[in-house]
Amino acid sequence: MRVKVEGLSYRYPQGVLALQGIDLSIEAGESLAIIGENGAGKTTLAKHLNGLLKPTQGRVLVGDLDTRQLSTAQLARFVSYLFQNPDDQLFERTVWREVAFGPRNLGCTPQEVEARTQRALETVGLLAHAQDNPFDLHPSERKLLALAATLAMEAPIILLDEPTTGLDHRTLEMIGRVVERLKEWGRTVIVISHDMDFCMEHCARIVLMAQGRVLADGPSQEVFAHGELLARAGVDPPQLVRLSQALGLPGVPRQVDEFLDLLAISRQRSR
Amino acid sequence: MRAPTLYLERQSGLHALHPTTKLALSGLFLTGAAVMPGLHWLLALFAFGLLPLAAWGQVARPLLRTSLALIWPFALSLLLIQGFFAPGEQVLFRLGPLALKQEGLLLGALFTARILVWLGTATLLMLITRPDHLMQAFTEQGLPHQISYIVLATIQIIPRFQAKAQTILDAQRSRGLETEGLLTVRLRALLPLIGPLILGSILDVDERAMALEARAFSRRGPKTYLTVLSDSLGQRLLRWLCLLLMVAMVLPRLAPW
Amino acid sequence: MIALHNVHYTYPGSELPTLHELTLSVPSGQFCALVGPNRAGKSTLCYVLSGFIPHFYRGKLAGDVQVAGVDVPRTSLAELAGVVGLVFQNPFNQISGARFSVREEVAFGLENLGVPREEILPRVDQALALVGLGALADRSPYALSGGEQQRLALASVMVMRPKVLVLDEPTAQLDPRGTRAVFEALRRISAQGKTTVFMVEHKLEWVATFADRVVVLEQGRLVADGDPRAILGSPAAWGRGVGRTRYTEAAQRGGERGLIHASGPLPVTLEQATRFFQ
Repeated sequence: MRVKVEGLSYRYPQGVLALQGIDLSIEAGESLAIIGENGAGKTTLAKHLNGLLKPTQGRVLVGDLDTRQLSTAQLARFVSYLFQNPDDQLFERTVWREVAFGPRNLGCTPQEVEARTQRALETVGLLAHAQDNPFDLHPSERKLLALAATLAMEAPIILLDEPTTGLDHRTLEMIGRVVERLKEWGRTVIVISHDMDFCMEHCARIVLMAQGRVLADGPSQEVFAHGELLARAGVDPPQLVRLSQALGLPGVPRQVDEFLDLLAISRQRSR
Repeated sequence: MRAPTLYLERQSGLHALHPTTKLALSGLFLTGAAVMPGLHWLLALFAFGLLPLAAWGQVARPLLRTSLALIWPFALSLLLIQGFFAPGEQVLFRLGPLALKQEGLLLGALFTARILVWLGTATLLMLITRPDHLMQAFTEQGLPHQISYIVLATIQIIPRFQAKAQTILDAQRSRGLETEGLLTVRLRALLPLIGPLILGSILDVDERAMALEARAFSRRGPKTYLTVLSDSLGQRLLRWLCLLLMVAMVLPRLAPW
Repeated sequence: MIALHNVHYTYPGSELPTLHELTLSVPSGQFCALVGPNRAGKSTLCYVLSGFIPHFYRGKLAGDVQVAGVDVPRTSLAELAGVVGLVFQNPFNQISGARFSVREEVAFGLENLGVPREEILPRVDQALALVGLGALADRSPYALSGGEQQRLALASVMVMRPKVLVLDEPTAQLDPRGTRAVFEALRRISAQGKTTVFMVEHKLEWVATFADRVVVLEQGRLVADGDPRAILGSPAAWGRGVGRTRYTEAAQRGGERGLIHASGPLPVTLEQATRFFQ
């Protein structure tokens, strides 16, 4: 299911112009990261994709559907959204019921609800806690719980708003693994994050935003190579890219082995 | 995210008055509006009492704007209800079995004018008084600082509460919760909305309580203030005068003679 | 400045202790970072150091907790306010809600302590300068960004001149710019040499750049203690759920692939990695 953003502008009721003339086209199965400073408009853009905000100018198409004509609940079957603070949505007595809330709203049969809940909890590794009270879990586990609740919607497009803040490394790796599985299952994954290493590792495409506009949109290796653009947007490149640049290596490594390959090649050349 | 205060910062003499003086003046206007018998007196009170004060405080326009915005629903209902249902002889207009009478309209206008002065007084007070300065005035007079804190914190927390409620609404809608439509649909939507709001607020309160403790909030002993609320003999006399006038206005009504 | 001896703590209603036989000594003026996986007890340790355990959270606390020579469990929270300060994750919840400007917010703690007015003003200005918020002194606390609010919390605590500053993941909810501003403020505080800084943090590159010492907590026990690079650049660290920077990972893998001779502690920061690979 593809997403098309055409000439999107958005002005908040208080008058602030948050988005100016955004054009974006996302194909089914893509993995992309929206990066930029706080206030650049990342979350404002994301909220247009599932109808939480309606454009003041332009339009957003999810498949053939115009978001202006549907409620968020109706769009939820196509675009699911993971919010930054899990505590803003937890209300059920058990982890299981919390995850099952979404599928129930979608009108799934009881068997389907059970199957989806099971799958979602397995994917994030919380099945053992299914009967626990959500507030007995550690905050990072609640983040995984919220992720499971979003996964259970099984929507073709999934939006993760700052999934990486405040987590320890094990939980961060789990989130990364989940993203990879979503990609394997052909879902469209859109991530908003400040963690450039996470974005480089898991997202093939980067959309760089600043002051309500898109500054750059392309494959991650291209966008992260543009030092001055990133600096203008107030963003640092991923660690390995910075290291390559510091060592004067040509190329933009996505992971450790790529970096080492570049290092090896440059060593051979200097012999 | 601003706290929902009407307060406007200005370098005016009115702003510089002690909060209790501002309260005393407000009390005078409120009492005056309550006892004044005539429409023209009430309008004069607003136009020649409140407005000049507001002009001194450089907030005349905001006062007018807010008062007029608040008054019109009262005006409409009072004029119509009194106009159609109060006893009277001089009919101005007929609508089927109902007759709009002049006496009724005048009565409605009187009530409206009274409410206008009350609303105007409350608005002006809020425009020129910073809530924490008002609370400081009370605390300096002996109000327990915990109560003062509760009042101020509530004012400041309201926009946060609203924002949180909106975020929760967004999150639950994104999970397919329908919130528009039949009443039954909307009622069913309440628990997933209220639950996180209350639970989340409890967690927040816990942390804020810790932050207050860390600032020695529960220490027993005299407290000092960074802000100095300026007072003077003149203001004290003015406050007594206001009190006397208020009593003088109310007493004839209380005593049966 | 911090002297913990054989500290045990169990939350009320819990069967297993959260902190075991914890013995730790941090000298005055040191910048010490605490790392470790979730549920290791890091926040619990912060609460023990600042007195919220046992005064706010009950449960069973055993052992010796001394901060700046003060016996923490036996001293009230109001008295502890001038000895140890705590800054935690959520910038918004640390705003008292009692004051309408940044300057007055910072003064709030001193007002509660009954400090004379003439002394409050300069101390507030000093605290604001320390965290770089001088220009925003007349703003409403609610008009600040997350990073600015966190620095406000820091100033509100530092104005009371605590001997020990405890921070529980203060940058967790901040963007890179906010994180940098907080760390730079902490560096200024530490450089003054009068305050011991004890910070729980996950962002390892920042820790390695700013901290003097790193301590690792795992399942309620201290399992490692030493120089930041030595601790964070060792393979044992990420086995313990501490994680590692990409620089460390690259160095480790480079050694495995025979591209580089990896002896001694591996690099943790960009600077260290640049020198390592040249």
